[in-house]
Amino acid sequence: MLGFLLVVLLIPYLIAAYGLLFVKLRWGLRLFGAFIVATIGLLTAMFLVEAYPIIARDGVAVFLQTGWDPVRESYGVLQALTGTVLTSAVAMALAMPMALGVAVTINEILPTRWRGVFGSLVDLTATMPTVIYGLWGLFVLGPTLHSLVNTLARDTMTSPYTLFTAGVLLAIMITPYAAAVIREGYALVPKPVEEAIYAVGATRFEAALIKLRYVKNYILGGFFLALGRAMGETVAVAMVVGGNFSRFTTNIFESGITISSLIALQFPNAASYQYMVPALFAGALLLTLFGVAINAVAIYIIQRGQI
Amino acid sequence: MTAERKAKDITAVRMVINWLGLGLFALLGVAAVAPLFLIIGDVYIKGIDAINRLGGLWHFLTGLPPTPYEESGGIGPMLVGTFYMTALGALLGIAVGFPLGVYIGEMRREKFANVARAGVNVLVEFPTIVVGLFVYAVMSLAKEDLNLYLLDPLSRAISPVGGWITRFIGPLDGYNAYAGAAALSIIMIPYVALITASAYASIEQPLREAAYAIGGREFNALFVVLRKAVSRAVLTAALLGTAKIAGETAPLLFTAFGNFYYGPFTGPTAAVPLWIWYAAQTPYEVQIASAYGAAAVLLTIILTIFIIARIRG
Repeated sequence: MLGFLLVVLLIPYLIAAYGLLFVKLRWGLRLFGAFIVATIGLLTAMFLVEAYPIIARDGVAVFLQTGWDPVRESYGVLQALTGTVLTSAVAMALAMPMALGVAVTINEILPTRWRGVFGSLVDLTATMPTVIYGLWGLFVLGPTLHSLVNTLARDTMTSPYTLFTAGVLLAIMITPYAAAVIREGYALVPKPVEEAIYAVGATRFEAALIKLRYVKNYILGGFFLALGRAMGETVAVAMVVGGNFSRFTTNIFESGITISSLIALQFPNAASYQYMVPALFAGALLLTLFGVAINAVAIYIIQRGQI
Repeated sequence: MTAERKAKDITAVRMVINWLGLGLFALLGVAAVAPLFLIIGDVYIKGIDAINRLGGLWHFLTGLPPTPYEESGGIGPMLVGTFYMTALGALLGIAVGFPLGVYIGEMRREKFANVARAGVNVLVEFPTIVVGLFVYAVMSLAKEDLNLYLLDPLSRAISPVGGWITRFIGPLDGYNAYAGAAALSIIMIPYVALITASAYASIEQPLREAAYAIGGREFNALFVVLRKAVSRAVLTAALLGTAKIAGETAPLLFTAFGNFYYGPFTGPTAAVPLWIWYAAQTPYEVQIASAYGAAAVLLTIILTIFIIARIRG
């Protein structure tokens, strides 16, 4: 009944919000604001309710256990949590230098009329469907990395689809998000500061380094925003991560799993088990909390350090 | 060695470091966009070949997807589903996102507006699969009563109109196009809202005062006069947001679910990204080929929207 009321009342709510826009503008606008806040609140509440059975049964152990054994109804998401951390770490290590490179290339190196084109290409990288990245990772990037890594170091990479593959693919996908924030800060370096840097005889490279230090808050903010993206990315990661959801591993050259890809890969058959749906919702709850925490940090850093 | 000579050497060293450093930055920058060309090239080379092999463009755009034992097939149901859900999701996303953006962009002195802004900032970065899972949870909670009290009587009342209407309105399955559209709209709302907000926030104060001075009511000032100043940015936001949700897969996994046939929208609905996700992971060569063909079609749609947005914006 609750859900019914929720869905049915949504329509009069939106109509009322629109109506109020004409009559009492500010209250109409506030209703739209309340809508978004309510959505987030409801989402968290919903996940708590759905995850409750397994948290009531296992307590926090569900987040600290490594086994994923549907037959025994024993679920732990630690291996997925580790996978999320490892893929994000690989992705961030590769993405941050690239994002800095994008910001400097656009603002310092390229001639003015090419800047817009290059910027558009970076934006397009962010708009591309994630499933197409997954397709490319599955048939091109994975096999290429597999043979490349194994030529450099014999037999380190056990299969084309590993945590490392997922990390590299993620790095490509999240670079534009970090780059966007850094570019925004870079463009805000005051003209007098820039003139002062060149006045003391700095080369263009030295100037770029000084300016990057000047916008370090934006770099940190971009880092956290991109990290949030990396942790939540689902489809592309699920396609290349290897789908090893039972065995715990900390070797990035082995198949693994992340929380979001665990949900994507296991949910379709979760309904056949008693506690799997709650366990997956517990994973989603964890993702939500991570997402909120990381974004809160990122937004705080960027707002504190606004030039 | 004279001091002058020494200074010259140091300058030479600095110049070398300068070029090396700038070169490194340029290399990293190029490395960030190079995969884009590799991906687009890969998708079009294999995709166009696949479309030709699976029975030509027209058949590919309208036909049913190939079973593992067929030689030809298409993505007709997927295209229909993607268009329907994207259109609904984008409409709802703009309808809610725009006023929300005005609120958090114009009423910055209100405390609640800042709460809402934080909410939008969190929501825009949310893992998309979480949004899908949320809509799934609401749907499974609401479906039974919704069908019992609202949709069953409604579909009986409108059944004289004709059979076609039952494809759009009727008792819902657990997975349906409307849940998919709802999930897509939740992803689009914060996107549109943030760009609208920053466009409104960048309006110069004199223009704002002029708008309030001639507009009479606040509604007219905000939505009629000032809208003109930001319409370009908002249009770009709407187009880019549409391109974004057209390619989303994760939120549709548990809401639209996917389908192989032209089903009614009240049941499981196919979508192009869902088909790519499913077919690419099958072991059958013909389905993998159709995944590449579908990727080429999806990429064409998204590139078209993106280029329109760039030219107009």
